[in-house]
Amino acid sequence: MTSGRARPFALGVLCVALASIAAAYASAFFVPGGARWSVPAFILGMSLASGAMMALGASKNGRLGVLLLPIGLTITIVVAGLLLAWGLPAESEPLWLGLPRRAAIVLYGVGLLPMFVLPVAYALTFDRVTLRPEDIVAVRAARAKVTAEGGTVPSHAKEPA
Amino acid sequence: MTSLQLLQAAVSPTARPTIVVVALVYFAIVSAIGVWAMRRTKTASDFFVAGQGIGLFALALAAMSATVSGFAFIGGPGFVYASGLGAMFLVLPLALTNTMGAWVLAKRLRLLGEVRGLMTIPDAIGARYRSPVAQGLSGVSILIAVIGYMATNVLALGLVVDAIFGTGLGWGIWAGMGITLAYSVAGGILAGVYTDVFQGLLMAVASALVFFFALDAGGGLGAMSRAIASADALFLEPWGRMSPLAALSLFFVFGIGALAQPHVAHKFYMLRDPRMLKWYPLVMTVALMMAMSLYFGVGISVRALVATGDLTPLGRPDEATPAFLLQFTPHLLAALVFSGVAAAIMSSVNSFMSIGAAAITHDIPVALGRRVRNELLVGRLSTVVISVLAAVIAQFSGKLVAFLGIFGWGLFASTLVPALAIGLNWPNATRAGAIASIVTGLVLTLSLETLTYFGVYSFPAGVTISGAALVLSCLVFFVVSWITRARAASELDPDVRLVMEV
Repeated sequence: MTSGRARPFALGVLCVALASIAAAYASAFFVPGGARWSVPAFILGMSLASGAMMALGASKNGRLGVLLLPIGLTITIVVAGLLLAWGLPAESEPLWLGLPRRAAIVLYGVGLLPMFVLPVAYALTFDRVTLRPEDIVAVRAARAKVTAEGGTVPSHAKEPA
Repeated sequence: MTSLQLLQAAVSPTARPTIVVVALVYFAIVSAIGVWAMRRTKTASDFFVAGQGIGLFALALAAMSATVSGFAFIGGPGFVYASGLGAMFLVLPLALTNTMGAWVLAKRLRLLGEVRGLMTIPDAIGARYRSPVAQGLSGVSILIAVIGYMATNVLALGLVVDAIFGTGLGWGIWAGMGITLAYSVAGGILAGVYTDVFQGLLMAVASALVFFFALDAGGGLGAMSRAIASADALFLEPWGRMSPLAALSLFFVFGIGALAQPHVAHKFYMLRDPRMLKWYPLVMTVALMMAMSLYFGVGISVRALVATGDLTPLGRPDEATPAFLLQFTPHLLAALVFSGVAAAIMSSVNSFMSIGAAAITHDIPVALGRRVRNELLVGRLSTVVISVLAAVIAQFSGKLVAFLGIFGWGLFASTLVPALAIGLNWPNATRAGAIASIVTGLVLTLSLETLTYFGVYSFPAGVTISGAALVLSCLVFFVVSWITRARAASELDPDVRLVMEV
């Protein structure tokens, strides 16, 4: 998503994802525990909503650039892990790292694996994508302008080191 | 035996001296930090946003402490014991939420705070939409949720103080609240942040140690799984004893909802330098993982120990942690966990005090077109008022306190996710959309929770009120913003737009 359309695309995905969750909830009013399709619909909706929120926050000038990879990878892991947990047959042996296979996929795959992807990707791209030196200069210039025009910048907004 | 009685039983004659000494040392350190912070608190900015002067580790540990309440130590392991691995869906989103929050909120709030000198989360909503009404409504939502949250936490604090010192519940509530109130009023959020750092370290270390004791007591994760599988195979299903929809709802509400917890988000204003955010998700994720390890470890270990007959079945799920500490950990570690529970509760209460007082002192007056002259003094008085109110509710309201505690997280999520988290990243969002979504979240959450609590209506299995209210408030936000999209550009100041674009 490097064509400058990341933000509207993320917003579109977010709307569709929320509608999918709403439909899954609505089905529970008609079928006890929700219709069979409601579980994959909720999994897709919830995972895509998380990915869309990340993309919305991470996009810059409408572009996601290199961050498309960690965000896409994470959402793929979450969707695949939850769909596997839902679709695979129950099996108590063999254990995977001490847990039955489906529980292991959820706890280690969905719960732990993204921890090694997202925070690291965030840190590694921070200086050149998330907050560049020129961004800080621009923001401080805006602050100075607000002050010069008699705006309300209280005294406690100290200059960071 | 109730969880309170078990907590008291855990303080057995042989263990009591250790637990009391550790608790006294803990309270002495917290008090000393309060005195130190009081000397440095001279302005409303110091009181509400620590003068924008804290570093990365203080931010991460303070945010972690505010996030983790006593539920992680007592209610959480009980939830795992009762519901199986489905209860883990409440903590699984941790893998995503810290980085998501950093992208969506942290940078924008910190920079907006610098440009506009903001102190509260409703301040950011007011600046984003140039709308005192949106600011005031979000302040009201926060105040309602804060008082409910505080009352339940203060009640839990009273139980812990009573269990350690044998004061009785009433005195326990007032003693616990008194200590928290003293350092909060004296040192404001500065005291809160640095006590949070100490409390966060205590929680993380105690929780991680208990996790290893839990694995050891059960003979390792594999042995525990086999023991549980032979007695209760449903426990180890991915959704545990819950329906898939119910478990997934937890993930949704605690994942997306984490973007709108004002007691955590407003700490971003306090960071000394926005460039320090680089390592925030990593530090916060590691700290939260350590603090929440007890949640999983004790929950699964106690279930396995019951399955093997090494522990008698629990009367109530909340007894999981006290029962485990009583029989499977050394006195010193049990003492650290007791203080850790108090630390978790006090750090959350302190954060709620701060944002509740700010709503009274700052956000609601702004919505009414008034400004409080001496925000520091009124902030301190407001802190006392809401704290006393919460303590009175905790002591005298009976079952009402449980009701009040139910909807805090959901109310924050349904009222603040659209206007704050989405709105700060979408220039076409409008003032009307923000106001409509806040009102939708507020009305739906309060009315549906009330109807459910009083048994007038019950939702089908798998549908949570907080999840439904969050989805609907977001959809209302999109629809109303789209209808009123012609006004979007005129409602966005250039400096705010800049912060949203960088």
